Amino acid sequence: MPPSSDRFSLKQARELLASRSIEKVVVLGANGTMGYGSAALFTQAVPQVTFLARTKAKAEEGLGAAIKLVRSPTVASRAKVGDYEHDFEAAVAEADLVFEALTEDFDVKKDMFDRVEKARRDDGIIATVTSGLSINQLCQGRSDSFRKNFLGLHFFNPPNVIVGTELIAGKDTDPGLVEFIEVFGRVRLGREMIRSADTPAFAGNRVGFKVLNEAAQLAERLGPVLVDRLIGPYTGRALTPLATIDLVGWDIHRAIVDNVHQNTNDEAHETHKLPDYMDKLMERGVLGNKTGRGFFWKDDEKVIHVLDPVSGNYKPQDEVKLPNLDYIDRVAALHRDARYPEAMQVFLAAEGDEADIARKVIAGYISYAFHRVGEVTETIDGIDRIMGLGFNWAPPSVLVDTIGVAATVDMIDQAGLPVPENLAEAARTGEPKIFFDNPHINVGRFFVAG
Amino acid sequence: MAAGSDVYVLGGYMTDFARNWTKENKHFSALMRESVLGALEKCDIAPEEIESAHVGNFAAELYCMQGHLGAFFTEAHPAFSGLPTARHEAACASGSIAILVASAEIEAGRYDLQAVVGIEQMKTVSAAEGGAFLGTAAWYEQEAEGIEFPFPKLFGKLGDEYDKRYGLKDEYLAEISKINYANAKLNPNAQTRTWYMNKEHALCRTDDNPSVGGRIRISDCSQVTDGAVTVFLASREYAEKYAKGMGKKLADIPRIKGWGHNTARLKFDDKVAESHHAEYVLPHVRSTLTSAWKRAGVSGPEDIDVIETHDCFTTSEYMAIDHFGITKPGESWKAVEEGWLEIDGKHPINPSGGLIGAGHPVGATGVRQLLDCYKQVVGEAGAFQVEGAKNAQTLNIGGTGTTSCSFVVGR
Repeated sequence: MPPSSDRFSLKQARELLASRSIEKVVVLGANGTMGYGSAALFTQAVPQVTFLARTKAKAEEGLGAAIKLVRSPTVASRAKVGDYEHDFEAAVAEADLVFEALTEDFDVKKDMFDRVEKARRDDGIIATVTSGLSINQLCQGRSDSFRKNFLGLHFFNPPNVIVGTELIAGKDTDPGLVEFIEVFGRVRLGREMIRSADTPAFAGNRVGFKVLNEAAQLAERLGPVLVDRLIGPYTGRALTPLATIDLVGWDIHRAIVDNVHQNTNDEAHETHKLPDYMDKLMERGVLGNKTGRGFFWKDDEKVIHVLDPVSGNYKPQDEVKLPNLDYIDRVAALHRDARYPEAMQVFLAAEGDEADIARKVIAGYISYAFHRVGEVTETIDGIDRIMGLGFNWAPPSVLVDTIGVAATVDMIDQAGLPVPENLAEAARTGEPKIFFDNPHINVGRFFVAG
Repeated sequence: MAAGSDVYVLGGYMTDFARNWTKENKHFSALMRESVLGALEKCDIAPEEIESAHVGNFAAELYCMQGHLGAFFTEAHPAFSGLPTARHEAACASGSIAILVASAEIEAGRYDLQAVVGIEQMKTVSAAEGGAFLGTAAWYEQEAEGIEFPFPKLFGKLGDEYDKRYGLKDEYLAEISKINYANAKLNPNAQTRTWYMNKEHALCRTDDNPSVGGRIRISDCSQVTDGAVTVFLASREYAEKYAKGMGKKLADIPRIKGWGHNTARLKFDDKVAESHHAEYVLPHVRSTLTSAWKRAGVSGPEDIDVIETHDCFTTSEYMAIDHFGITKPGESWKAVEEGWLEIDGKHPINPSGGLIGAGHPVGATGVRQLLDCYKQVVGEAGAFQVEGAKNAQTLNIGGTGTTSCSFVVGR
């Protein structure tokens, strides 16, 4: 049953779906981007979705945004709106699922869960969309029934478009509930469900923001244009890394990498450290697209201006001089004809400092992802699917298969990075022959010829 | 009438119809290459085994500024250098025409193993420009020139003709759209599988779901899609060898049991004028289906377990229902009302999601239908499997029911 997770047979999926029902959902923080986006998604499958916010007017704003997002009048027909003061208790009391999408602040969420705990039904599910706060800590000290029914349901923005979704159980979450939500998400909401462990930033952001932050670190020396060219579409992504940070927002980027940097100590620890220039520029209001200034901004004449991270000044992109990057054009030309393995051979063989830097980032991505297996997901498949369908990046295993495992091991080694044991073994033994074995995902889609 | 065919279907591969190859900055050659190489891998066939190859495509010259499509096989794999190739066009029925020609070559004893690709890359242009290109499937100068989105309007007229002859409530069209979208959610290659869609949205007949041509609203339309599908067709001799190699029996390999193919006048009004006193609104479509049954040695819809039909618009599926003989002429609404069209219904139609839900890369559609019928009769359709399907049938039409093709596939 699609999307592609095959954890359950069709029969099991049907039985799980029949095991309980979600007819009424309450979304807390329904005026925020993740709040109204998730609420919109829920209206596809749930007959009653209540948008709650600080004021009714704000909840209505959220509903308006949800209707605009999915362009369906049925959102309104399934939605109710209300505020925390007047409508909270009644709505939560009848909810099968309370979905928390407040700001990423532990205490704000905790205070709201105090109220939820008092108002909720004993069998009501509570889910949080947090992108990295600990699920276990968020429900610490609460009743057995709360902890049993509490889990993380991490949609990516915008939830109606990005199908990759992380499902995070706490240590006391009812395993049957986790299975039900996995199938509900997959079948009713059409999402690709990935089970992630309750670790800082979970699986997707842990691996993804490592690469993004490394790009931000490199930008200080190389400048944003060169970095986005080097870690560009040809390396297996639709959107370049620094443009992604601008889209996500610098403050969100900081929250995620700070969380990982403070709460983990892995082999790539230094790559999680936010560059100082970003901290300084954020004080001046540089937060990415939402403030109109990030690594890039576009003026009224559609001229793109680029940040100089050292001075904090901008200059037109046309004035940025780049070194010879012909190899990228050759790689892209081969992608354009779907000759992906040949393209990656050109990438591997490219000479010069720039190509070395690009290979180091890609090798780092693969090495880091494979080293996280057993920590953030059970198998590499979970990381592969969230990177592929959450970030729209070539999953690590797809890169290994396309580059070839022996060449991948060499690339990681030459970059001075630790070689994951199972890749080393595959290079020695020739088994497994492929790492990405998912018939439902076309691997070619990840290699953008740009 | 020629006898039933002895052409075997060894399987194939379709690209993910949700992909936008222009956004990936890919050339037509990439779409073809992924489809062909994907099929060779899926079916475990060495490229050297292929003896001849055909491409079904409608308008690559317009969408991609590219002709001479058969030659792209040689770009897909070096082993195809020297392969006999050809390209075939009959608007939305192009894929089926390629299958027919490949089948005929097998039956003539020329070749034992054929690759057939149906392909269209459509997202290279704006919706309006693409709509005009599609207008060339009608009589362009007389039916499409200067008209924005001519085809929804022409298929709106098909609905109007039903309304005039028998009465037609739009709610039945909406229900057809709903079933196709719901089925698409079960199909991992369907274009709309992750789209926001529910019953109310499909049934909405207000300005939120605007008209694009008379009674045809957005949710009544098939999609603009990039996609390619490759299938392998084989002679009995090759199929026997293939089955043995796969540890199977010949009886496990589906066969094209029967086919139908004919052409009506180009203009919609001429077709309808001709059928004024006939039992069916589009008699040529009907005779395509009945001739496929005759060649296959089956008596009618009661012997067909699953149908993949051409729902370029909900009105074309509405037309197909009575033309397939599922109801009496003009009573297609009954099949909708009784729930016969659902995957577990009496006459499942488009478990794949059809052109509305799975997508409609024009030249690929006939081949996609054949591949989905193959999957059904070998039990490989996954979540959209019709339990115990033995015989499956396609209906692929070009223009306003101008070229009609149908295949009965079974074991």
